[in-house]
Amino acid sequence: MASADKLINTDVPEKDVFAFHFLQSLSNLRKQNPFDTPDQKNYRVRKIKKAAYVSMARAAGGSSRLWSRALLRRADKDDNKIVRFSRRKWKISSKRRRSNQRAPVVEEAAERLRNLVPGGGGMETSKLMEETAHYIKCLSMQVKVMQCLVDGLSPK
Amino acid sequence: MSNRRSRQTSNASRISDDQMIDLVSKLRQFLPEIHERRRSDKVSASKVLQETCNYIRKLHREVDNLSDRLSQLLDSVDEDSPEAAVIRSLLM
Repeated sequence: MASADKLINTDVPEKDVFAFHFLQSLSNLRKQNPFDTPDQKNYRVRKIKKAAYVSMARAAGGSSRLWSRALLRRADKDDNKIVRFSRRKWKISSKRRRSNQRAPVVEEAAERLRNLVPGGGGMETSKLMEETAHYIKCLSMQVKVMQCLVDGLSPK
Repeated sequence: MSNRRSRQTSNASRISDDQMIDLVSKLRQFLPEIHERRRSDKVSASKVLQETCNYIRKLHREVDNLSDRLSQLLDSVDEDSPEAAVIRSLLM
């Protein structure tokens, strides 16, 4: 495959870019919904989680990656309702394929990966590997940003 | 979407074992978090994919947990507290 020969570029922005986007999202969230209503706890958690994924997608370059484009598209669709980012939604049919070219165990693992990476269901396999690598790097960065924020806010 | 999926299905069936192993080895090069395995290439490719899935799930759980903790912490932040100063300094 031609794409298999291309250099896989998984460069991601620095941590402060992710921090900027996430804190901006949190700031906007705080203005929209003051955090002073304990009975809306679950609603607030879901808002923060969505803000984390959306700001991560923006920090990663918005629509420059298939996975980030898929995340932003999903967020736009969900704008009027807060839902969990269900990973079952894009599950490919479990019907066994007729081809025997690949060992079933490798194929099954690749299918599970497709379900986990946003937009993975529509990706050609070599693109899936590239997007997976980039997605994991960005997700790791986002987790670090959130951890720093939690540490900074926690009572000493 | 169904068109793309069907095309992907058709295309995926054309990928040979060797090509999949090659792709997975590329994935492994960029992800030091995924442990090396010393086994046959085919088993190694499957293991790398499985470990990649497990790692993504772990990161998803961490985002969930941190979102929950942030929700609690922001709940207790008032405008004049030192924690609010932390947020403001990070935003500047």
